[in-house]
Amino acid sequence: MAIKTIPASRGPAKTSGRDRAERKLAFRMTAPSLVIMALVAAVPIGYAIWLSLNQYSVRTAGLSRFVGLENYINALASQEWWAAFGQTFLFAGLSVSLELVLGTAMALLLNLAFKGRAVLRTVVLLPYAIITVVSAITWQTMFQPNMGLVTNVLSALGLPGGDVVWLGEHGYAMAVIVMADVWKTTPFAALIILAGLQVISAETYEAAELDGASKWQTFVNITLPLLRPAIVLAAIFRTMDALRVFDLPFVLTRGANGTESMSMLAYTQLRENRLVGEGSALSILTFLTVMVVSVIYVRFAGGNIRDVAKEEQ
Amino acid sequence: MDLNRPALPLQNKATKRKALAATAIAAALLLSACGGGAAPQGAEQAAAADPASGANASGAVNICGVKDASGIYKGTAEAFTKANGKVTAKYTEIGATTDEARTQIVQRLEGKSTECDLFVTDVIWTSEFASQGWLLDQTKLVEANKDRLIPSTVETTKYQDKYWGSPFFTNAGLIYYQKDKVAKPESWQQLYAEAAKAPGNGYVYQGKQYEGLTVNFLEMLYSAGGEVLNEQGDVTIDSKETRDVLTFMSDGLKNGSADRAVLTYNEDPARLAYESGDFGYQRNWPHVYRLLNATPLASSFAVAPLPAWEGGKASGVLGGWNLAISAHSTNQAGAVAFIDFATSPDWQKHVAMDYSQAPVNEAAYSDPAVLQKMPFATELLASVKGAKPRPISPVYPQISQAIYKNVYAVLSGTASTEEAVQKMAEEITTAKASF
Repeated sequence: MAIKTIPASRGPAKTSGRDRAERKLAFRMTAPSLVIMALVAAVPIGYAIWLSLNQYSVRTAGLSRFVGLENYINALASQEWWAAFGQTFLFAGLSVSLELVLGTAMALLLNLAFKGRAVLRTVVLLPYAIITVVSAITWQTMFQPNMGLVTNVLSALGLPGGDVVWLGEHGYAMAVIVMADVWKTTPFAALIILAGLQVISAETYEAAELDGASKWQTFVNITLPLLRPAIVLAAIFRTMDALRVFDLPFVLTRGANGTESMSMLAYTQLRENRLVGEGSALSILTFLTVMVVSVIYVRFAGGNIRDVAKEEQ
Repeated sequence: MDLNRPALPLQNKATKRKALAATAIAAALLLSACGGGAAPQGAEQAAAADPASGANASGAVNICGVKDASGIYKGTAEAFTKANGKVTAKYTEIGATTDEARTQIVQRLEGKSTECDLFVTDVIWTSEFASQGWLLDQTKLVEANKDRLIPSTVETTKYQDKYWGSPFFTNAGLIYYQKDKVAKPESWQQLYAEAAKAPGNGYVYQGKQYEGLTVNFLEMLYSAGGEVLNEQGDVTIDSKETRDVLTFMSDGLKNGSADRAVLTYNEDPARLAYESGDFGYQRNWPHVYRLLNATPLASSFAVAPLPAWEGGKASGVLGGWNLAISAHSTNQAGAVAFIDFATSPDWQKHVAMDYSQAPVNEAAYSDPAVLQKMPFATELLASVKGAKPRPISPVYPQISQAIYKNVYAVLSGTASTEEAVQKMAEEITTAKASF
């Protein structure tokens, strides 16, 4: 996927007046959008980076002092950051892998020809349409000890878990947060994978059938490889989202029991403690983490994403 | 290492001032970009409210604060407008939750907005806001009204020997108990022992990792004679009392006095669990009284002030809301007139009767009309009068985090009492150093 660079020609290239005029026009036409892009994207990020290099004191009513990378060094030396870092990756790893497996299964199901498929496709998307905070509150209520739906059903059936304080212990709390995320976003993964499925031509399957391939062989040797780009695309979207997770742990546990995410840590410093420099540094670190992970994804699976784009044309 | 550690060793005041001056221009430039534009403004520079100005006030007063769930703010504004005639008051909701309202208020104050003349402030915000020079000094006004206000409620508006707000309504924890199952709580030890006696006697409180846990812990710590900061503001939480209370609370979870589920409870889940009838005691705020009365438990529950630590004196933690005048208010006289009305003995009776909130006027608690609507007024007054404010510091949010995170770690069994006490003291010291 290396891009070959075109060797620069010696001396200024000879261009006709028309070429130059066209280039000028192109520049003039794109300039406004470039400016807007810069304002929309670069300015806030640049500003956040600048803030992160300063220390703001509550005492000085918002005045700052330039401290260079101190905020970053402090963050990277702190237990809190690495705990949040580890927990966020644990959460992302668990929820994204579950979402991909279940999403693929769901997509295969929705791809079957049956009556009411269109309705089901819409219905399946419902959890994704619910605002995360609202669904988080619902999950919290379900797992409430003593009166929550889950604990009541488990106790009524005499199953273990009826007396577990789900959101009060590390393993269980993390499990509930992962489940809530999987419940909410599997439909989204399924939708992307379904799009990938529909690109695979029927002839491929007919050929496989003629060759006498079993259902499982067809799935492993044809469907899955051809579906890979779509799955990778879903994985990128979901991983980026999962690494930025905030609302689920915030509502469900307030970060207790080792469920504090990187974004929550930044929020606490920024909004609750009004430590703008420290909070900005944490936000930038979160942003960098997400960026590095997505660059790794694109680097190792980028070609596949381009394939999807090509096939869909 | 801790996140809250200040980035540079603390300098003395003089060098700090110099450093400030040096960065002032750059910072002013920078901050104007986000509408901040704050100049260094010490609390000592803030203007004072003139108590006499209320009498000839006119114009409009805008009061800003959290969503008005009980209707008390809008109701008071309307009643004031009607009674005053010259000044009109309006209540503007600027946040759905306490946290959101704080953020909105901070944004307006940092931006020197003149939109709001008065802010309804949580008792724990006083020092932070006052230290930023955001509020009008209300010392004279409070002094003028002091004889009609409960002293403990006035204390919540104090920062560096001045008063920065007037109390509007107060709040203190109460114990709700099933009088057919358990005895009236006299001491925490007795309450816990009683709660462990039978499965249906248990105690529920707010044990989730949040501000409420800080309050629940401090109530016990204060009654045990412990404290977070002493009079001089030094960190004194590393004490025998803190260890005793932490051990007591975590033992209570182990021996079944308190249900383990409290680790996930804030106010409402605790109330709902209690309403199931499976518990003997509940610690909650006064508003629960009205709600409990609408349940099958209506005839079997009773209210008591928070108990004492064995051999000690009961002492709770104050909640409640104050009225603070913005330093950028364009109608300070109107704001003073509104405060005069809202804290008047007559209106304070309505605070109890119409909105089930705890008045800041002591006489209101023995008024027959109030007692009829609020039969637990005597218990409530005892709780309010005995209650102390939470640690007074501009970095209170960080202090509270240090408390609830470490208390939670002990309760959930991830840290020992000793570890937690040391970490708590360390983090509070660091937080104080960051100011």
